[in-house]
Amino acid sequence: MLTSVFTKSVRDRWRGLTIAVVSLAALLYFGMVVYQDIDLSIYTDLGPAFESLIGIGADADAASLAYNAIYGSYGAIIMAGLAVAMGAGYIAGEERKGTVGVLLANPRSRTQVLVAKAAAMVLLLVLGCLGLWAAGVATPAVLDVSTSGMDVTAFLVHLTAMTLFFGFLALAVGSWSGKSGVAAGVGAGVLALSFFAVGILQMIEGWEGLAKLFPWYYFAGSDPLLNGIAWGHIALLIGTSALLFVVALVGYNRRDLRSRSTGVSLLDQLRSNPVTATLGERLAGSARVSSIAMKTASEHQGLLFVVSALMFLVMGLMMGPIYTSIEGSMASFSDALPEQLVALFGGGDLSTPAGFYQIETFGMVAPIALMVVTITIAAKALAGEEENRTMGLLLANPVSRRTVVGQKAITMVAFGGVVGFAIYAGTALGVLIGGVDLNLVNLAATCVLVTLIGLLFGALSLVVGAATGRVALAIFIPVGAALLLHTMNALASLSDAWWGALSPFHYYLGNEPLDNGMDWGGAAVLTVLTVVLLALAFPAFDRAEVREHA
Amino acid sequence: MTDQIALHTEGLTKHYGDVKALVDLDLDVRPGEVFGFLGPNGAGKTTTIRTVMDEIRPTAGRASILGMDCHAQSVQIRRRIGYLPSDLALYPNLTGKDTLTYFANLRGGVDWAYVSELADRLGAQLDKKVGDLSSGNRQKVGVIAAFMNCPDLLIMDEPSNGLDPLVQREFQTMMREVVGAGASVFLSSHTLSEVQRVADRVGIIRHGKLIALETVASLRSKGMRKVELEVGSPADAALFEAVPGAREVVVEDTRVQLSFEGSMETLLKAVAGTYELVDISTQDADLEEVFLTYYHDDVVNGRGESDSVTSGGAR
Repeated sequence: MLTSVFTKSVRDRWRGLTIAVVSLAALLYFGMVVYQDIDLSIYTDLGPAFESLIGIGADADAASLAYNAIYGSYGAIIMAGLAVAMGAGYIAGEERKGTVGVLLANPRSRTQVLVAKAAAMVLLLVLGCLGLWAAGVATPAVLDVSTSGMDVTAFLVHLTAMTLFFGFLALAVGSWSGKSGVAAGVGAGVLALSFFAVGILQMIEGWEGLAKLFPWYYFAGSDPLLNGIAWGHIALLIGTSALLFVVALVGYNRRDLRSRSTGVSLLDQLRSNPVTATLGERLAGSARVSSIAMKTASEHQGLLFVVSALMFLVMGLMMGPIYTSIEGSMASFSDALPEQLVALFGGGDLSTPAGFYQIETFGMVAPIALMVVTITIAAKALAGEEENRTMGLLLANPVSRRTVVGQKAITMVAFGGVVGFAIYAGTALGVLIGGVDLNLVNLAATCVLVTLIGLLFGALSLVVGAATGRVALAIFIPVGAALLLHTMNALASLSDAWWGALSPFHYYLGNEPLDNGMDWGGAAVLTVLTVVLLALAFPAFDRAEVREHA
Repeated sequence: MTDQIALHTEGLTKHYGDVKALVDLDLDVRPGEVFGFLGPNGAGKTTTIRTVMDEIRPTAGRASILGMDCHAQSVQIRRRIGYLPSDLALYPNLTGKDTLTYFANLRGGVDWAYVSELADRLGAQLDKKVGDLSSGNRQKVGVIAAFMNCPDLLIMDEPSNGLDPLVQREFQTMMREVVGAGASVFLSSHTLSEVQRVADRVGIIRHGKLIALETVASLRSKGMRKVELEVGSPADAALFEAVPGAREVVVEDTRVQLSFEGSMETLLKAVAGTYELVDISTQDADLEEVFLTYYHDDVVNGRGESDSVTSGGAR
């Protein structure tokens, strides 16, 4: 099996990709089943503004709604995210793990290694998109849903091209820097930025052209599902990918390889400079190793800072003025918006500030931001120390396993609270600056609820990590559960199905807290679920055998 | 510091599915001794240590440290022991000093003057990030972490990995010092010379079973010798192999090497009848040969598999 760098690279990554494709195919099937049951005749009145907002055509029907909701948002983000992970991991990841030395000790040039890895990446991504295409063609056939006027092939050609672009972007950054964290960060950052930028810029009159600066535009901008392949856009994405590959080749061949080593943070520089050494020591030295909770906090302070700052500035502060500037155009087509459709994006009426915020900030972005922080901390808390083989040494100290779980859980809860507060503070300031008519008490209640959502899935991650000792499971299981439950809630709310109540997201936005204030019952449900999961983590870790090797 | 048995295991057994990593292990580490735990890679040394450290749980049997149950009282135990895991991993983003401060905070009551003394003796760099240290320098941080709270029992899994010979010697001196002060050391190793130098008693483990338990002195006094002969004409291995007590005969033209256990007269008589004896030198067998001999027996008696039997295999 391991006959070459190519086959090993494929083998290292095919599993995650397969899981993603199968899950997306299942979600697509689920989505079409639900949309089929809804009366879609009301959609025919939708105006062009709405079309550009959510990318759903005037002749909306079950198939196009499902393609756009499942493949166009979740699917594209997940596939591009996997591509970023591959691109970042394939070259720079070997340096982080310290395996690059042995690899290049073999009679293979750096160019050969890079070509083999890039080929593996292209093969996997193309196969993954082919899988999505097959499911996309088969599902409507099985369900007997009409797809007339829709070009699934064009849609997936665009998706494939964008996915390749993000893979090569991360590969190029990783090949130049040798830092997989930087490569993944740049790739994910560009992905997130372009997703939101394209969505928002198209709503602001006169700014639509700016969307063309972002790669997401060349995936969705031409609406390939309805209009077929836009060859110019495809050529641009593929051409840029090829260029990035050349950049990767040059970068990888000309620089020094990194040995497994650590980065130098600002704090390190403060500490090493004699003038600022005392200050640096005070900031870093004793406080961050004073307890397990503080140590855990210091490991994730960078992530906390970035996520909180982004949420505070972009999703919070800027959203007020943005809303004020587009309020007029919102109102012009808000009457045409069917309530059920908007429910998919978090519910609410776009013509009111509460509805706008529910869709833009709180529907998907805020829960994702919280989960990024809580799940990262929780997954690394126990399973991470086991995979890094530091758990044995930590537990050689006179601290019980329960103390370790408890202290790490405290950090997760505290960080979740900080993110929740950052969202509140930023949004509240933005509301005040923009003069938006939004009740700040209701806003606070919504922020509490979204924080609980983040903590709930963080707690799930902690339990999985405690029981299995595997970081990958502690990330994938809660993320998968969140994806499934979020979709379930959205689809259920369209048809007022009883099973929506099985999803925790139902207790978050189900009663529209931005309009109606705190949903105490919902808060209680989320709190109880979180506490139960946290409590389960203690016995789970007591029972587990500490793993020796990753 | 204490008269209690430092480490005690009774029928300690650990299975991973069908793999019997540890079978019915009975051993005692007495107060004030260095106990060497010898075995080749994969013999079950680390499994034993991880079980007594409560990182993994035994399939059967029990273990206690300083009279306390390894599972039920593991937190109290950890106040009084120092531990250095095999293949040490630390937090790469912390400096050595941060790392030790972290563990000192979790533990309480660490004397920093003693820590600096240990760091000086080992030549440890505590102001650099652990991730940027060589493996030997990283190991020094681990050694300090194990010693710094003046434990009653030190459990160390192949501690000399990566340390240069000079530092190894200093490290061995440190072990003898703490044992002199009444503490005990449980030292797992495949470096036989190290165990020979510092240990009082040795347990040899293979395929999860303890196959010998003796003092270093009595192992040596088994009278096994390494003999080198130079004879006047090309030698025939069969003749030497026929001598009772002779093992591992290697013949290179007129030079003969063998391990020999028994009266030297038997050997000399057998040789003198056939060859002209040009030169002979003997030396006490070191633990290594004794060790290999045990394995050899183990295999001849059909209890072991045929891997790792060759004399080089256990290094």
